[in-house]
Amino acid sequence: MSNLTITGSQSTPAISGDWDAGILTMTGDSYPENSFDLFNQVIDWVERFLAEARRPLSLELHLLYLNTSSVCAIMDVFDLLEDAHGGGHPVSVNWHYDKRNERVAELAEEFKEDCSFPFAIVAHD
Amino acid sequence: MKRDIEDLGRRIEQLLAQPEYQDHPLRGALDEVWRAFLDQTTRLDRVTHISDGYQTLVKERENDLDERFQKQLRKLEKLARISDHYQRMMQDLNVALSDASNRDVLTGLANRRHLMHRLKEESRRASRSGQPYTIAMLDIDHFKRINDTLGHAAGDRALIEVGRILQSSLREYDLCGRWGGEEFMMIMPGTTLVSAQALSQRVCTRIREHAGVPDVGQSQSISASVGISAYRHGEHYSDTVERADAALLEAKRRGRDCIVLSEV
Repeated sequence: MSNLTITGSQSTPAISGDWDAGILTMTGDSYPENSFDLFNQVIDWVERFLAEARRPLSLELHLLYLNTSSVCAIMDVFDLLEDAHGGGHPVSVNWHYDKRNERVAELAEEFKEDCSFPFAIVAHD
Repeated sequence: MKRDIEDLGRRIEQLLAQPEYQDHPLRGALDEVWRAFLDQTTRLDRVTHISDGYQTLVKERENDLDERFQKQLRKLEKLARISDHYQRMMQDLNVALSDASNRDVLTGLANRRHLMHRLKEESRRASRSGQPYTIAMLDIDHFKRINDTLGHAAGDRALIEVGRILQSSLREYDLCGRWGGEEFMMIMPGTTLVSAQALSQRVCTRIREHAGVPDVGQSQSISASVGISAYRHGEHYSDTVERADAALLEAKRRGRDCIVLSEV
């Protein structure tokens, strides 16, 4: 129905939601001035997709540094996915990280706790 | 209790039904009292039932709130944990960055930025305490020749070797670093020109003896020249550096492989 495109900056991730493909991608650091404004758009898009599209939704995350409010927003998105998963909607997360930065994998692992939907932590060279 | 009331009820019904009490003056009153009692009992049951309903509702709401509260609490704990983890990661990155910005990549010694920072600090301290510090500028003799004849890798090895000797010759609170090119600086707090000279002498000897550049078959030894100056109360550290530089130049002029003290 509609794609989501938010240009990234030094302090905000590049975000793109492909409605037809059912893929939401977030790339970069996230310590925005107003994370509420930024992530509300993301949460709205995910809520709308889960309500209207009967297709699988996949999150492709290439996130590095997140400040506290961004961590909170990502956890909110995962809560939405968890509910959808409970309701039988196929959802998944792929958290990508650079092999040289093992800390990002540890953090993704912490996010993954208590998520019952498919959640992969993928190393890249 | 309920059984008692049923028994009582049966007895009263029997009494009221007996024909011989039909005209008894208490019969009418008993009949009325009994009906009023039954009425009150029914009312009490209904009130209890409604009240229980409310209580269940409140209890359910409380359970629901408690569940939501526990869920929020877990989420908050998770949020704090992850956020702390990110903060630690940031701090470690900061340390790595600060280290990288203050260290010479080749020798692992302090770089010029770090040395200048320390000069500023030592000058402040010297002005406060009245206790001067000395600096020594050390330059590897004929370094260009090493680079030109043996290649840059040999030159790099010589720099690393000299750096290692400097580092191991200094006291804990001294600082040595690479000022630039083949020039090194030693900062020695609370040291006089004379003791700085003695220390530099030891360093130069070790360089001559140990920092050989491997040549074809045999080792070609290297030497260094040194200029030393002491901080003068109230001056800018760049003046101290300038005097050490001038002394170093004089050492080069005197034929290298020697130490020159800047006049006090």
